[in-house]
Amino acid sequence: MSENPKDFLLYADQLHKQYPDGQVRALGGVSLGIKEAEYTAITGPSGCGKSTLLNVIGALDRPDKGEVFFRGAPLGNQRDLDRFRARQIGFVFQSFFLLPTLTSLENVQIPMFEGALGSRERTRKAEELLGLVGMSHRAGHRPGQLSVGERQRIALARSLANDPVLLLADEPTGNLDSHNATLVLDLLTNLRRDRRLSLLIVTHSPDVAARADRVIRMRDGQIVAN
Amino acid sequence: MYFVTFVLKNLTRRPVRTALTVIGLAVSVGSMIALLGISENVEHSITDSLARRGVDLVVTSAGKTDQLASEIDEKLIDQVRQIPGVKEVSPAMVELIEITRDSGTSINVLVQGWPADNFVYEDIKILSGRRLLAGDHGKAMLGLTLSESMGKGVGDKVTIQGEPFEVVGVYQSFVVFENGSAALPLDEVQRMMARPGKVTGFSMRVEKSHNDPNSSVEAIRQQVNALTDSTGKPAKLSAQTTQSYVDSVSQLKVVRAMAWMVSVIGMLIGVISMLNTMVMSVLERTQEIGILRAIGWPRRRVVKMILGESVILALSAAVLGTIGAFAATYVLALFPKVNGFIEGGVPLKVAMEGTAFAVLIGLFGGSYPAFRAARLLPTEAIRHV
Ligand SMILES: Nc1ncnc2c1ncn2[C@@H]1O[C@H](COP(=O)(O)OP(=O)(O)OP(=O)(O)O)[C@@H](O)[C@H]1O
Ligand SMILES: [Mg+2]
Repeated sequence: MSENPKDFLLYADQLHKQYPDGQVRALGGVSLGIKEAEYTAITGPSGCGKSTLLNVIGALDRPDKGEVFFRGAPLGNQRDLDRFRARQIGFVFQSFFLLPTLTSLENVQIPMFEGALGSRERTRKAEELLGLVGMSHRAGHRPGQLSVGERQRIALARSLANDPVLLLADEPTGNLDSHNATLVLDLLTNLRRDRRLSLLIVTHSPDVAARADRVIRMRDGQIVAN
Repeated sequence: MYFVTFVLKNLTRRPVRTALTVIGLAVSVGSMIALLGISENVEHSITDSLARRGVDLVVTSAGKTDQLASEIDEKLIDQVRQIPGVKEVSPAMVELIEITRDSGTSINVLVQGWPADNFVYEDIKILSGRRLLAGDHGKAMLGLTLSESMGKGVGDKVTIQGEPFEVVGVYQSFVVFENGSAALPLDEVQRMMARPGKVTGFSMRVEKSHNDPNSSVEAIRQQVNALTDSTGKPAKLSAQTTQSYVDSVSQLKVVRAMAWMVSVIGMLIGVISMLNTMVMSVLERTQEIGILRAIGWPRRRVVKMILGESVILALSAAVLGTIGAFAATYVLALFPKVNGFIEGGVPLKVAMEGTAFAVLIGLFGGSYPAFRAARLLPTEAIRHV
């Protein structure tokens, strides 16, 4: 181990992952450190293991070998993983994944059930977050009534529901036109500035990568440039 | 937003399926409530009537679970009357006897053979005609509902086990099933049944001390049970308090057992239908549940959501089923066949038992789907768009 996990907010150490049915190594010994309020972009060809890496870092999946350290401590058992994911991580996906029957305001509150807030406080906080992403005027609309750009902003508000320290985004602008992509990207960078949020963003977009502190290139389950 | 609001929203997503499931479950919970309610009501009406008549003890012959098969020598009744503290003794011969309608069809009716001095006469209401008197022969009284269903009133003739009887009175009793019965002089019933000098049982009123009525009753109960006949052999009488008598009546026991059996079957059907609904619902929401896990829900919360949905479904069914059971017992009480035997309404206790049943259906029927849902992998959910 050349670097010390304790120096990072999150440190992925020699991650290996092979899917049971796949011949390919999705991850072949990836190490990566993320500092507080740092913006890291990951790029690489399709199938090179970017999403896999993001999932393992976000505790959605476990590596076959290697470990993820958060503030110097390994992630541990399932209970800890759930808690870590709920409290420290915010997820944003390419296809938003909002619940279709809920309004914007309700969608943002979904992750809050695990927190300490009461019903009224949850609503207040959700209103606040909608304001932050400029969506207060769409609080009562369901996803189907929103444009895709608006949906991604709601999803972004939802990812902030439990005040995470690290935001993981898998091609967050992949389904957006350039105008909306810029809007979302601006929001992300503002969040990083105002909340000292660390960003780890998988992207194919040069614009998104250009704004990052550093860009990590992957190929065949390995980091080729950092 | 409350968590339960979210759970409710999930149920409104497929309103037709939700409604059908609730209706199906309501049928099983409702039939359970109706059956248990009816058996409870029948027991109540008997206990109440005995209590209201001031009956403290009911005496039948020992070892006979079927009240109609009980047989006691009338001579013993005089002995019982001699026991200090015994106020009144009211013997009766109760039999199911065939009454022929004018159309030629016949029905089995509970016929009560009452002596002219029976204290029962005190609290039945003579609606028309008169009560039976000492020395009456070939005379009968009809309970109100029996009189209505047969279309017979005072002065009409009825055929009881092939013999003609003249209706001298129509009565109404607060004991529901007595309204569906006929009353004949005791000696007529004894003759027709070829059981002269016998009764099927008797009820007793006893003197009670103010501060401890129960022990007065108990003391006399034991003396009755210990009676011997003229030859010194045990009389084998079984005196029971009204409550334990009602508990021991075998017909009521059968009704109770049937009600419970149907309830258990209903519960199984309920669990299966709940399983079906919830498994479908979980499969449909595979991706959504994966997302919930991905954005921070632990397995426990997914389980709570699914169980919450199934318990809410079950509780709605309990409400609907209780209302249905209420209505059903009232409708049933109108049928001529059961007329007089069944009261409308459901006791609170039974409604609560039904609700508890429903909650169990919700928990049992929801737990496997909840387990399935909790095992869904978030990575699978977000991989396919
Ligand atoms: N659940 C799975 N089962 C089997 N193989 C998988 C699974 N998930 C991913 N893979 C394989 O693992 C490799 C890495 O996949 P991953 O999704 O991480 O790539 P990616 O870099 O995110 O690609 P893209 O840019 O297309 O999203 C691919 O070869 C993929 O086919
Ligand atoms: Mg990917």
